[in-house]
Amino acid sequence: MSPLLLIASDELRLMVRNRVALIAFALLVLLTLAAVASAWSHQQHAADLRARHQSAAEHAFDAQPDRHPHRVVHYGHFIYRPLSPLAAFDPGIDAFTGSSLFLEGHRQNTANFGDVRQSSLLIRFGQLTPAFVLQTVAPLLLIFLGYGVLARETERGTLRLLLLQGVHRSHVVGGKLLALGAVTLLAGLPAMAGFALIAGQPGASALPMVVTALAYGAYLALWAVLIVFVSARVSHSRSALLGLVGFWVVTAVLLPRIAPDVANAVVPLESRLQTDIAIGRDLRRMGDSHNANDPHFTAFRQSVLDRYRVDRIEDLPVNFKGLQAIEGERLTSDLFDRYAAEADAAQGRQNQIVRTASLFSPPIALRSLSMAAAGTDLAAHQRFLSQAEAYRFDLVQRLNQLQAHGVSYADDSASDPGADRRKRIAADNWRQVPEFDYRPATASELALGALPGLLVILGWLGLSGLLLIMATRRLGDR
Amino acid sequence: MSLWMHEARLLMRSRIVLIATLLLTVFTGAAVVTGLREISRQEGAIAAIPAAQAEDLAAVAARVAESQDAGTAAYYSFHPTWDAPAPLAFSALGMRDVSPYMLRVRALGLEAQIYDGETFNPELALPGRFDFAFVLVFLAPLFVIALFHDLTSGEREAGRLHTLSSLPHGGRGLWFRRATLRFALIWLALSGPFVIGALASGAPIVGAAAVMALTAGYLLFWIVVCLLISRLRWTSVANAAALAAIWLVLALVLPTLANVVINRTVPVEQGSEIALAQREAVNRAWDIPREETMRRFYANHPEWDGIAPLPSTFHYKWYFAFHQVGDEAVADQVLAYREGLERRDAAARTLAWMLPTVGVQGMLTRLAETDLEAQLAYQDDIRGYHERLRAFYYGYLFRDRPFSPHDFQRAPKFTSRG
Repeated sequence: MSPLLLIASDELRLMVRNRVALIAFALLVLLTLAAVASAWSHQQHAADLRARHQSAAEHAFDAQPDRHPHRVVHYGHFIYRPLSPLAAFDPGIDAFTGSSLFLEGHRQNTANFGDVRQSSLLIRFGQLTPAFVLQTVAPLLLIFLGYGVLARETERGTLRLLLLQGVHRSHVVGGKLLALGAVTLLAGLPAMAGFALIAGQPGASALPMVVTALAYGAYLALWAVLIVFVSARVSHSRSALLGLVGFWVVTAVLLPRIAPDVANAVVPLESRLQTDIAIGRDLRRMGDSHNANDPHFTAFRQSVLDRYRVDRIEDLPVNFKGLQAIEGERLTSDLFDRYAAEADAAQGRQNQIVRTASLFSPPIALRSLSMAAAGTDLAAHQRFLSQAEAYRFDLVQRLNQLQAHGVSYADDSASDPGADRRKRIAADNWRQVPEFDYRPATASELALGALPGLLVILGWLGLSGLLLIMATRRLGDR
Repeated sequence: MSLWMHEARLLMRSRIVLIATLLLTVFTGAAVVTGLREISRQEGAIAAIPAAQAEDLAAVAARVAESQDAGTAAYYSFHPTWDAPAPLAFSALGMRDVSPYMLRVRALGLEAQIYDGETFNPELALPGRFDFAFVLVFLAPLFVIALFHDLTSGEREAGRLHTLSSLPHGGRGLWFRRATLRFALIWLALSGPFVIGALASGAPIVGAAAVMALTAGYLLFWIVVCLLISRLRWTSVANAAALAAIWLVLALVLPTLANVVINRTVPVEQGSEIALAQREAVNRAWDIPREETMRRFYANHPEWDGIAPLPSTFHYKWYFAFHQVGDEAVADQVLAYREGLERRDAAARTLAWMLPTVGVQGMLTRLAETDLEAQLAYQDDIRGYHERLRAFYYGYLFRDRPFSPHDFQRAPKFTSRG
């Protein structure tokens, strides 16, 4: 057996004999399995619940009786954000955003009923998912198993003996790394089992999963290399342990909390109340369809009359009220899009700050990457919101068109006892409205979103590899 | 006394102790500043409401001026509500970053308005906030471990333990002095910046003292854990590893595991069902005889019955009546939803008796009034205010009284608990 393998197997034997290490390892495996099972069943349950709600909402919409189209504009529609299959591995921000969105005319509502407002305070301690276990818990376990691999030998003087016996430095370090690497691989395996489960799901695409698996592999390898490096550089195992735990606390617990607070302070977000009032103000400036003397709508009315070459709106071949509704909705939707784009851009700038912080913290980099690949990050939520807004606009304008062409102006303005009946159009119109069909990001888009994080992790891996090589050269010099 | 001074001098000579104390003070200070900033940002947003609101309401008033119609006034006017932060909110932001602390409501159906959220960046909310509660619950134990893991084992490894044990009473006085000094150092590093923050935000003495006592209790818990581990007579490094593992289990593993168990055993799915059912109940009114709606409305609100009959044309009192009937149609679901939330919260609080990490977080957010209970209390305030709003507008609508723009000034004003 080569000295490298001999040292590796010797180190592994020692780990197996260490009862605390063995128990910790067993706990990690159990925890991962629990996380895989719970995240998997949570994803299935949530996806199923949303699908059921979606079909109930669609059924309710289609089952409406004969109605005036504008009633249906206010009846609105409910849509539910579908959950990507990879959310069973990393649900990302799913719990922090509402999953149910009410679409109606002239208003843009918030997505409501997110888990974060429906759960006990425990939810702010983190969520038990395979991603959380691998990102946060696994590195700490590797530290416990590996802080002493070289520092212990230095401390006891056995390292010098080894080197005196002619064992090459790179064999010593390589053997230790091999042993820790084997443990790392074992620790990561249960989570990968969850991956296999997800891969069988419809809609799960290979590319983002490969990127995710690669990134987690590189991340855990990075910790193994870093642990062996620190263990090689210090002369006491206690310094190695304190230093490594300190590094873990800073990068995995502290920075992930500080970076968002910095981002919040640097880029403040406009509150919903202020945005609503600002939209109302802009709308009054642009035109008020309820005001008979409003310049915008006076001009609009004239342009319609000119187009149809008539003098009075009563003579129009279409229902002017419907046209007015179409124009009004166009104005409000333009504003919604503009304000939503501003808010999205501000949140994007905030995330950019966090991404900069991820240069100093591999756990942040991995978290962003993992959410991006799973389609459970902010970008995915914004994608849903913008598609929902497009659908809302289309739905409302479709109904306004029905009002313009399906209800006569005379009926629409009448208030006699029979008028209500004449204003209504047939119920089968509602069934012609297309359903909301969320188009998730493609596999290559997801993978592309994960790329920046992957580069950071690979950069860290390369850097710590270099450091370890340098430390190997100086091993045992003191 | 000189013995204490001697120990203190010895302690300050240790580099790790100095660095740890300094670091913890800096972290606590930063957390207090972050909390104060966030709270003052929220207070600023609340203070900006009246100006923005005046502008918005003026536009509605201009519209009402012509028609003098109370229905138009009620339909178009939004009325602000807010949840002013408690003085201690800076120390534990709790749910204030993900739940709305300002919400505008109209006298229309409340169930379609009360669950609306606030704009926030979910990716920033995901890891949790950097506040005093975080420093205390998550970071402080690590500093306790750093200062206590080698209290006795360090002396054993230095070969002095036997000598020290031969002191009177087995050196009990010495260990007591050492432990007390270390404890005091950590407690001061946490309490110092906190007291400054509490003074800056004008927190009541009782509340601030409770937080400081809680801090001391939580530190003592971790010190006891450290001392129990040290009785196993392991090496310093084995102590440190075991303690860090205990921290991991108590601070991260068990709370996340418990969250899964609680959310599984107490399912809360009524939220979106309320929204669906309320919409159905409200919109159905257009398809049934108006008298049927009014009958249901008057059954619950006889005080508005028999004043003026419903005209044959559209009247806003019918419109507002069916909105209220819609709210009342889902009252049972609303109650079940709320009970579900409270049962989840109660389960977590029961767990808090066994998990000090969860317990301290729970007590801090309670003292800071930023927990679920405070959120529900704010919702109750909104409900109460909405009821007064309805009564105010109904006074015009159901009595067919004209509504002049000046009448907006008579509209009920929201008052926050604080």
